[in-house]
Amino acid sequence: MIFEILAVGLIISAILALFLDEVIYSVAALAGTFFFVAFIYVLNGALYAAIFQFAVGIGTLSILFLSGEMLGDKPAKKTSVKRTGALVGIGAVLSLPAVFLSVSGSTTIAPDISIGDALWNVRGLDVVMQAIVILTVALGIAIVLFEKRKGGQ
Amino acid sequence: MDFVILSLVMLGIGVYGLLTNRQLLKVFISIELIATAATLNFVMLATSQGLGQAFLILAFSTDTAVSGVILALLVIVSKKYGTSDMGKIIQMLQDKGTSEDEVQ
Repeated sequence: MIFEILAVGLIISAILALFLDEVIYSVAALAGTFFFVAFIYVLNGALYAAIFQFAVGIGTLSILFLSGEMLGDKPAKKTSVKRTGALVGIGAVLSLPAVFLSVSGSTTIAPDISIGDALWNVRGLDVVMQAIVILTVALGIAIVLFEKRKGGQ
Repeated sequence: MDFVILSLVMLGIGVYGLLTNRQLLKVFISIELIATAATLNFVMLATSQGLGQAFLILAFSTDTAVSGVILALLVIVSKKYGTSDMGKIIQMLQDKGTSEDEVQ
């Protein structure tokens, strides 16, 4: 039962995050989405996934709060209670397929690999390659911003 | 209860938001939702719990890099045009193009 409640909450908060007019309220709804996803991970026994979801979510949300306040355009009028109620209703309807339907099929369960083995023995090369890509992206952003600042002075 | 359908619905909501929203911050939120739907699949459909979480960590690192690039673009666009609304930016660019044509 708790998974169904979490699924409904997840879809409703995702809908609210996208379609509320005020950016700050959208970011608050996105925080709800991250919370529900992390809770689903915890209940499925994926504790590391939940911790990463929280850590990445908190970072993203803090940046979004700041940029939403500084860069977001202020809406002409506030979202009415009627519209918010309609969005919640649409979210509840959209979550019904996930609650009542299921896809048939079977997966072969491999012997359980620990997260350490999975990261370093199975996906070690991927981790290193991704670290290089991310480092390159970060350096690229830093160089672009530095050049822009230099050009502005 | 099926997590595949749940993540499919979330993916649909994210793609719809990506196609219909004009605010760049909302576009960013849509991309976050799509990434969350994908990572949900990684954990729930993995043949082994550890492998699924390892994939999730890799997906998060890519997602964070993408977020950094999008936010950098958002700051540059907002500073240059004074708004983060794509509709207004396109209108400004069209007006600019029209005035340049008139000068020529």
